[in-house]
Amino acid sequence: MSMGMEATVFLAALAFVWPFVGALVVAALPAPHSREAAIWMAGIGCALSVIVFMFPSVGGNASGWDDDPVQRAGRVMLAFGLLLLVLENAVQPDRLLRSLPHVCTALAGLACVAPEPAVGLGILELALAWGVFVFTRPAGRAKTGWGLIRTGSVGTVLVLSGLLLPQGSTVSGLMMACGLVILTGLAPFGQFWRDRNDSFLFLPFAGASILLAMRLRGHGGAAFEMALVAAGLVSVWLTASAGRAGHRQRLFRTFPSALALMAVGVEADVAALLFLCGWCLAGGNRSGRGWAVNVLACFPPGAPFVGCLLLLSVMTDWSWPVAVLTVCGILAAVLRAVPDREAARLFWPEDMAGRVACSVLTIMGFLVPLAMMLGAF
Amino acid sequence: MTLIAILVPMVALCVVARGVGFLLLAGVVTALAMLVDGLTPLQEVGAALALLFAAVPPLFLTRYQHDATLERSGAAVPFFALGLMVLLLLACSRAGSTVFPAGLCTMVAGLVAVVCRQSMVWQWAGLLTCIEGILLSAVLGRQPVVLGVAALAGAVVLLLGGMCIHRIMPRVVPLRAAGQRTTRRADPSDGGADA
Repeated sequence: MSMGMEATVFLAALAFVWPFVGALVVAALPAPHSREAAIWMAGIGCALSVIVFMFPSVGGNASGWDDDPVQRAGRVMLAFGLLLLVLENAVQPDRLLRSLPHVCTALAGLACVAPEPAVGLGILELALAWGVFVFTRPAGRAKTGWGLIRTGSVGTVLVLSGLLLPQGSTVSGLMMACGLVILTGLAPFGQFWRDRNDSFLFLPFAGASILLAMRLRGHGGAAFEMALVAAGLVSVWLTASAGRAGHRQRLFRTFPSALALMAVGVEADVAALLFLCGWCLAGGNRSGRGWAVNVLACFPPGAPFVGCLLLLSVMTDWSWPVAVLTVCGILAAVLRAVPDREAARLFWPEDMAGRVACSVLTIMGFLVPLAMMLGAF
Repeated sequence: MTLIAILVPMVALCVVARGVGFLLLAGVVTALAMLVDGLTPLQEVGAALALLFAAVPPLFLTRYQHDATLERSGAAVPFFALGLMVLLLLACSRAGSTVFPAGLCTMVAGLVAVVCRQSMVWQWAGLLTCIEGILLSAVLGRQPVVLGVAALAGAVVLLLGGMCIHRIMPRVVPLRAAGQRTTRRADPSDGGADA
C-alpha cells in the first residue's frame, strides 16, 4: 500500500472517530470553555469530511464498508449541520447534553457507511437510545422519552420487516417506505419535535435516515420509490393547506425532508443531497428566523432552490402529472405557509450562526451541481 | 410451516386484546417455533433472545402497581389487527411466497397494539411483540444480521421502556402492619393483565 493510500485510509478513519473525540473533549472541559472547544472540534470535523470527500480511500470497498460519493457528500452536510448546532446554541451546563450533538452526528455518519443497511439501522437505533436517555434524565420527561422511543422503534421495526421480505416485492417496498417516513420524522406521519433540544438528536438522525433511504432503494424496488414520492407529495400538500397558523408550523419545518424523500424516490440523489444540506443547516427549530424561512421555502440563492430545479428536471422524465402536482404543491406551500413575511425579507442575518449557514448553503448550491457536472457523482 | 408457527400470531392477537399478561406465552411459543426445525446456533440464540424479551417485562412489572390508564380504544382493535394480518397474507401470496409469514403477522399485531392502545405498559408489550415477530422471521429466513439488529432494538426498547415505567408508575408498597381495610384496598393493585 502506497503512502498516499495509507494517508487517505487514515483520514477516512479519523473523520469517523473525530466527532466522538469532540464529544469526549466537550464533556470533559468545564462549561465556560466547552463552547469554544466544541466549535473548534466541529470545524475541524467539517474540514476532515471535505478532505475525505475530495480524496476518497480506495480500499474501503474491499473491506466491506460501502462508500459511494453521494454518501461521502452527505457526511459533509451532516458535519456542517453539527457545526451550526454548536454555533447557535449557548453554553450548556449539562455535560451529556452538550456532547449529544457530537455523539449523534458520529453515529449518523457511521450508519451511512455500514456494510448493510440493516446494520446502519441498528446504529441509528443506538443513537436514538442514547439521545432519549440524555433527554429524559430531568424529572418529568419520562413520558416524552417513551414517545420518542416508541415512534423511532416502530420505524426501525417496519424497515427491518421490509428487509426480511423478498427483494422488490410490493409489501416490502411499502413497509420500508413507511418505516423511513417515520424515522425521518416527516410531518404529519412522524411525531418528533416536541422540545427545543430535540434538534440535537433529530437533525443528524433524520439526515442519516434520508441517506439510508438511498441505499435501501436496491431492496425496495418500484413500490418503495412510489411510496416515498407519494408520502413527500402528501406532506407538501398538507403543508400548503395547513397555512401559517402558529401550531401548524410543525409541517413547514419538515418541508426540505419531504422534498428530499421525493428526490430519493425519483432517483435524483444530488437533489436529495441539496435538500439534506437545507435540512441540516436550516431545518429543525430554526423556522422562526428570517434566513431559515427563506431557505426552507426554497428561495434563491441556496442549496434547496438548486435542489428544487434538479428534482423537477428529473421528475419530468419520471412522470409528468406528478411533476405538475409537485410544482403546484411547492408554490402553494410557499404562498400560504411561509410564516411572517416581514422576517423573511431579511436576507443577510445578524448573528454569526446565521451568516455561516447562509454562506455554506449558497456555496453548496454552486459547488454540488458543479461537482455533478465534473463527474464526481 | 408448522402448527406452532401459526400459534404465534394467535397469541400475539391475545396480547393485543388482553395486554401484557400474554407476552410470556408469546415468547415461549416463539422460541418453540424457532427450535422446531433444528438446533443450529442461530436458532438457539434467537430462542434465548425471544424468551428473554418476553420473560423480563412481566417479572419487572410485578414490582409496580396495576396501570390504571383508562383505555379509550374500542373492542374492535384485535379485529383490526386480524384484518391487517389477512391483508398481509394476501399480499405475500400474490408476491409468490408460499411460506406462511408467521413472524410478520406477529409484527403487525404488535404494531396495532402500539398504535391503538393508550396505556404505556400495553404499548411496551406491543413493541416487544413486534420484536418477537422480527426475531422469528429472521430465524426462519436465516438472516443473522437482521437477528442482531432486532436483538439490539429489543434491548433498547426493554431497557428504556423499563426506565420510563420505573419513573412513571407507582411501586407496590409492602404493607407491614396491615389493617383489614388497607389490605383490601391494595389487593387489586397486584392484578396481572390489563383488561
